Amino acid sequence: MNWNLLVTELVAGITHGSVYALIALGYSMVYGILKLLNFAHGDVYMVGSFIGFGIVTVFGGAQSLTVSVWVLLFVMFFCAMLGGGLLGVMIERFAYRRLRNAPRIAPLITALGVSFFLENAAQLILGAQYQSYNSYGWHNGELWVKGFTLPAGVHVGIAQVIVVVGTIVLMIGLTLFVQRSQLGKAMRATSFDREAAAMMGIDVDRVIVATFFIGSALAGAAGVFNGLAYQQVWPYMGFVAGLYAFIAAVVGGIGSLPGAVLGGLLIGLAQSFSIGYISSTFSDAVVFAILIAVMLVRPSGLLGKAAVTKV
Amino acid sequence: MKKRSIGVIAVLAAAAALAIVASAMARPAATAAASAASCSNVQIGMSAPITGPAGSIGSDQLHWAQFFFAQWNKTHKPKIKLTQFDDQLDPAKAATGAQSFASNSAIVGVIGPAGSDQVQAAAPIYKKAGLAFASGSATRVSLTSGKWKGFFFRDVPNDGVQGPTDAAYMTSTLGVKSGDTVMVVDDQESYSTGLADIVGASLKAKGVTVDRESVSQKATDFSSLVAKVTSSVKVVFLPFQVASEAQLFAQQLKAQGKTAIVFGSDGTFDVSKFNPEGALISFFAPDVTTIKADAAIVKAFHKQFPGATSPFGAPNYVLAQMYASAVTKACADGKISRAEVRADVQKVALSSSLIGPIKLTAKGDVAGAKFHIFKVVNGKYVTIA
Repeated sequence: MNWNLLVTELVAGITHGSVYALIALGYSMVYGILKLLNFAHGDVYMVGSFIGFGIVTVFGGAQSLTVSVWVLLFVMFFCAMLGGGLLGVMIERFAYRRLRNAPRIAPLITALGVSFFLENAAQLILGAQYQSYNSYGWHNGELWVKGFTLPAGVHVGIAQVIVVVGTIVLMIGLTLFVQRSQLGKAMRATSFDREAAAMMGIDVDRVIVATFFIGSALAGAAGVFNGLAYQQVWPYMGFVAGLYAFIAAVVGGIGSLPGAVLGGLLIGLAQSFSIGYISSTFSDAVVFAILIAVMLVRPSGLLGKAAVTKV
Repeated sequence: MKKRSIGVIAVLAAAAALAIVASAMARPAATAAASAASCSNVQIGMSAPITGPAGSIGSDQLHWAQFFFAQWNKTHKPKIKLTQFDDQLDPAKAATGAQSFASNSAIVGVIGPAGSDQVQAAAPIYKKAGLAFASGSATRVSLTSGKWKGFFFRDVPNDGVQGPTDAAYMTSTLGVKSGDTVMVVDDQESYSTGLADIVGASLKAKGVTVDRESVSQKATDFSSLVAKVTSSVKVVFLPFQVASEAQLFAQQLKAQGKTAIVFGSDGTFDVSKFNPEGALISFFAPDVTTIKADAAIVKAFHKQFPGATSPFGAPNYVLAQMYASAVTKACADGKISRAEVRADVQKVALSSSLIGPIKLTAKGDVAGAKFHIFKVVNGKYVTIA
């Protein structure tokens, strides 16, 4: 038994799964409230990642940072989450709001349109080249040199710890917000029955805007996490990540927040273990096989609830 | 009666319209391909990725061709105009560019496209239009396997040369021996998988164990794959198309404390994007900036196009040189046709050129061409073989 391989795949799967989970949360939140598959969500993640890259550049670039890593991280996350959140609100306001009562295919097509618009706009403004956070170069690579070693001799860098711990903190924060705050309760009520919530005096518009802001802010954070751990940023990065996150949300049960997290981790682990123990060529096949298997056994996802239609 | 005559008129009008459209569609290529034109307006087309992810490579290729014709036109007649098309390394766009060149009767030959996929997409159009087309960077073996014989040629060696060269370098110089393992990872694109297969087969023939892997060109997390690089893996061969992907792989290899040698190929040849210390890269052309005999030309080039150049550029200078020679020969009688240029350019032999002697084989490859090995030393590429 190669324990080193096992533990490395475990760490890789959890790290990558954390990023998927954060993106999947946004998918699930919006679906829960509006029953809309927001395919532009992956591109909000891309924009968040570019904002983080912009902050690195503003502070002197990877090789010659003018501030400490912790200050940099704080500014990156703040700007990426704020920027992502505001972008999400703008998308809702200008692309989806007028289509709230339209047939479901209309906002779906619009979501695809917004996705293409964001990708092409990013390519036009930022160029098609791959850019790199190069976090390996920040202050002599302290985010990767420092860290701790697991029993099988697997080194875990601080960058990976930040991704996993950051994701956990954000997920706990979101859960507490949804369960305990007034706005969170309003979100749950709107998700349960939008019309009834409105009749009970809940400002549904405000709830929807808040949902888009929070979901998109999480995507922005995921973009920075991705840059931190996997370096690369490019205009079309949101498509693939968004696709996996969508699968994660569906596997976990779309509309369910714990389901999104579970789905994200499951997809991340499936990817890394299939690469490590089967073949890198078939890792995508394994992920989609899991999706099909879950859909066959539990069509509503692992933690999803079957929709009941009253007639 | 009235209804009937309207119907007849409509049918006739439709038939006439169809005939006009059909003749308009057929005319440009047929006329351009067959007739001999005056030498007063001779153009060479160039299809290259001038913008987009491979923009730096395409611009460099364009600059070298522009540089050649600028020099040539100072002292030679007929003057040759270079007409450019930006294909963005996209096969569909390369085909569009080919259509545009095919319908321009002044164009008698084409430099490009740059990539093998783009060549494959544009080739049927060039062949139909009777145009010669030549690439200074498309290295897929099958491009010169006979389908476009007499139309397509290149002045760089193909992957069939690169694979065995790289494998031989690993075993003879890097000390990879029977029982050792080499991890060969492709990026799921046709260039990459083809080259990875050739290198893998060459290594297996030498008794080396090959761990054949494959990752998406969009992948950013290689840590799962890097975990499989055990102490028996001496070399990780990465024939990627995107240099920064290979850089990422090398960084994650280092982060996990792995010491296997990283070996890239022409797709990773970009010192600003792929520069892990000690890594090796095989490339189809020499670095002309380090060749003493080329110094004067390189200096003049930099005067016209200041800034860095890469070995992707110079082969296009040589292709322009070959076309210029063919055009001169074809214009001896004051007229030129695509067929003449096509026949003449394949006969051009240069005993010396920026990138070495050039003599084409019947298939359109360069006879005796070889690959060059570079090493990253202090963040720069140094020729070592």
